[in-house]
Amino acid sequence: MSSLPMTPPAAAKPPGKLALSRDIFLQFGVVWAFVILLIGSTILYPRVFDPTNVKNILSQSAPVGIVAVGMTFVMIGGGFDLSVGSIFALGAVVFGHLADPLGLWGAAGAVLVASTICGIINGLIVTKLRVNPFVATLGTGSAFGGYAFIYSNAAPQVPNDFNFQYLGTESWLGWPISIYILIAVFLAGAFVLARSVYGRSIYATGGNTEAARLSGIPTDVLRASTYVMTAICSGIGGVILSSRLGVGQADMGGSIALDSIAIVVIGGTSLLGGEGAMWRTAIGLLIIATLTNVFDSLAINNNYQLVAKGVIVIGAVALDIYARRMRN
Amino acid sequence: MQAAATVPATDTGLALRATGVEMRYSGTLALRGVDVQAKTGTIHALVGENGAGKSTFLGIIAGRVVPTRGTVRIFGQPHVFGAPRQARRLGIATIYQELTIVPALSAQANVFLGQPLAQAGLLDERRMRRRFEELAAEMSVTIRPDAIAGRLSVADQQMLEIMRGVQSGAKLILFDEPTTSLAPPEREALFRLMRQLRAEGTTMMFVSHNLEEVLDISDVVTVFRDGNLSGSAPRSDWSKPALIRAMVGHDVVENRRVERKPRPAGAAPLLAAKGVNVPGAIEAIDISLSPGEILGVGGLVGSGRTSLLRALAGLEPRSTGELTVDGEPVEWPTTPRAALKNGIVLVPEDRKAQGLVLGMSAMDNIAIARFGAVSRFGIISNTAIAAKARSVAREFGFAENRVGTIVRNLSGGNQQKVLLGKARFRGPKILLVDEPTRGIDIGAKDEIMSTLRRLADEGLGIIVVSSDLEEVIAASDRIIVMSEGHKVAELDQTVGPVNVQDILTAAFKVMTHE
Repeated sequence: MSSLPMTPPAAAKPPGKLALSRDIFLQFGVVWAFVILLIGSTILYPRVFDPTNVKNILSQSAPVGIVAVGMTFVMIGGGFDLSVGSIFALGAVVFGHLADPLGLWGAAGAVLVASTICGIINGLIVTKLRVNPFVATLGTGSAFGGYAFIYSNAAPQVPNDFNFQYLGTESWLGWPISIYILIAVFLAGAFVLARSVYGRSIYATGGNTEAARLSGIPTDVLRASTYVMTAICSGIGGVILSSRLGVGQADMGGSIALDSIAIVVIGGTSLLGGEGAMWRTAIGLLIIATLTNVFDSLAINNNYQLVAKGVIVIGAVALDIYARRMRN
Repeated sequence: MQAAATVPATDTGLALRATGVEMRYSGTLALRGVDVQAKTGTIHALVGENGAGKSTFLGIIAGRVVPTRGTVRIFGQPHVFGAPRQARRLGIATIYQELTIVPALSAQANVFLGQPLAQAGLLDERRMRRRFEELAAEMSVTIRPDAIAGRLSVADQQMLEIMRGVQSGAKLILFDEPTTSLAPPEREALFRLMRQLRAEGTTMMFVSHNLEEVLDISDVVTVFRDGNLSGSAPRSDWSKPALIRAMVGHDVVENRRVERKPRPAGAAPLLAAKGVNVPGAIEAIDISLSPGEILGVGGLVGSGRTSLLRALAGLEPRSTGELTVDGEPVEWPTTPRAALKNGIVLVPEDRKAQGLVLGMSAMDNIAIARFGAVSRFGIISNTAIAAKARSVAREFGFAENRVGTIVRNLSGGNQQKVLLGKARFRGPKILLVDEPTRGIDIGAKDEIMSTLRRLADEGLGIIVVSSDLEEVIAASDRIIVMSEGHKVAELDQTVGPVNVQDILTAAFKVMTHE
């Protein structure tokens, strides 16, 4: 994956060996957590590393993982997006509905347009009307979600064209296509965030909007663009899931918002904006996906899984806050 | 007065006795075992360069910071570290630079914050109002009890905090740079109050960068250098040069006026603004600035100096006026981007809130101003950022090898250098500098002022606003004086030297007319 967004100090004053190792521990704590989880997983479920299982983990987490890439942009930019689940569902029903008349790629294009419009609406409400992102996307989430039901008449959208399931079920070179899409979106996101002027400007905007604005960065446009990007990612996520299941339904977005936020936060990207990285989101995704996989393989009831996930999210955030306090 | 501390025989007359106080922050020693004593009923000043340890020491006494070693006794009682509530019980009140006023509450509610007068669990508003008025009268403060605290001046807010401290029964009041945002008359009012409190037996300890004021108000001055005490003596033993020597270890001439080479007469102005208006702040101001000129803006807090700079920098969307840059009339800027396009760059007064992205490295902060210069096809080159940042850092006397440091971890002086470096990197024609040396030490101050002069020598036009009028005088070729949103005087230093009195006279003449 990419290097850190902010290159480490070339020759910062040499801290003591102890302080240095502590800093590294605090900075990469989430990686250690993942390593420990992997070790624990192999003990509980020895087949966790089987290629079939790895493919399973990755292809199942592709839809939410792609949403989390967009969410990382929004959150580093100092925002928040609760409407991703609804855009995800809208993407799924639009894709299912239009796959027959427009074909696979035509329908995917239509989803792109629809989700872009949703993202622009979010961005404008947050930057122009200055509504708090939490409230704004809570509202649009309800509206977009309702529209997904209206659009589909609350009926499952099952196209006749078998081609519809290509993206979700076919493989290239033995690996599901959805995994390639997931990795491509992650790499692109990581590169843009870490190395582009656009990405660095998002860090600046999230870190201190006023300072960024005074420096001539068009902060409103940037913040709005992060919502558009997240919406597009959500649309793609919806396309992949409906393609895999062979049906687009308006209730597909259920836990997408909370799961994608949890993934970003577990990785250690700050809820306050300005800090974080795409590799963190990747680790967050792997942690959640591995946990779900191990729980499933141990046949643990889904309700217990929900409780466990909640505890893990809160624990991760508390640990992150603690680590930050130690560093300052 | 709830917290009447009992005084054991050993510490008679001592408000504070700190012994062997050591503080270690992740490997570096901020304090190397210092001993400080303060007699009851005295004003004790702590001075030193940034990072010398004075603020850490104050934080320990305030009960906010836990030292790694050492003991402190407050009025003979052992101090409980890291527990501000306990500190308060021992009779300590702390007035921080970042005031802890709740802006939406009334003045009265702020004074009784956390210590309301109540009867049977219900707030006793009448008794609180009476007590507020008593306190205000004792301290000769005129603040209406029901004024909304957020709308009061910084000075008045500070008075509220002091009233809160007195109401809590504080016998030892700590001030962290109390005067940085105060105008001279407000400063005088604060000093009057401090003297009065001292006469009533209150002990005060304050951190300050302003040596005149230290020599004016304090009884004892303690100087910190690199975590050690480099001197502690009654005021009468100190002089300004002696203090500076003790602080930096060598002589520095403060606020010297440097003769600048004369500019060609009759040069076309670089910037001319006519009829600048910001509704509710400034009215009909005309200014002009020649290439290579440093224009100072003098005036009290609230005179509209900052509004003028903000308007020119495009930060006041409701401002109006006519602007000419390099002889070309341009549209009046109402966004920062528009001002930047005209080559006008602002160095804002609040470096933490408006200037820097604290979580980013110094070099990224410098690069924010002009990503175009360090990227190709929208892709950033970290090598280019580091190289450009190093050269800018060199120019401002900022240690080159620290450009990768996260700005939050830099001292105030270094942050200010990064902020100026960032503005410089933008490549401005006109630099607007608001409070360039607030809260930074003398060494850094000197470097920053001489860099500004050098930039002017290269042909930049610079406008400087500062609460430190001596600094304004030392830096500028010409000074405009503002009062209540109007320009009331224009003093040309190339004709003859200006002194602080001239500026204050000009500023007050108008105020007394109204």
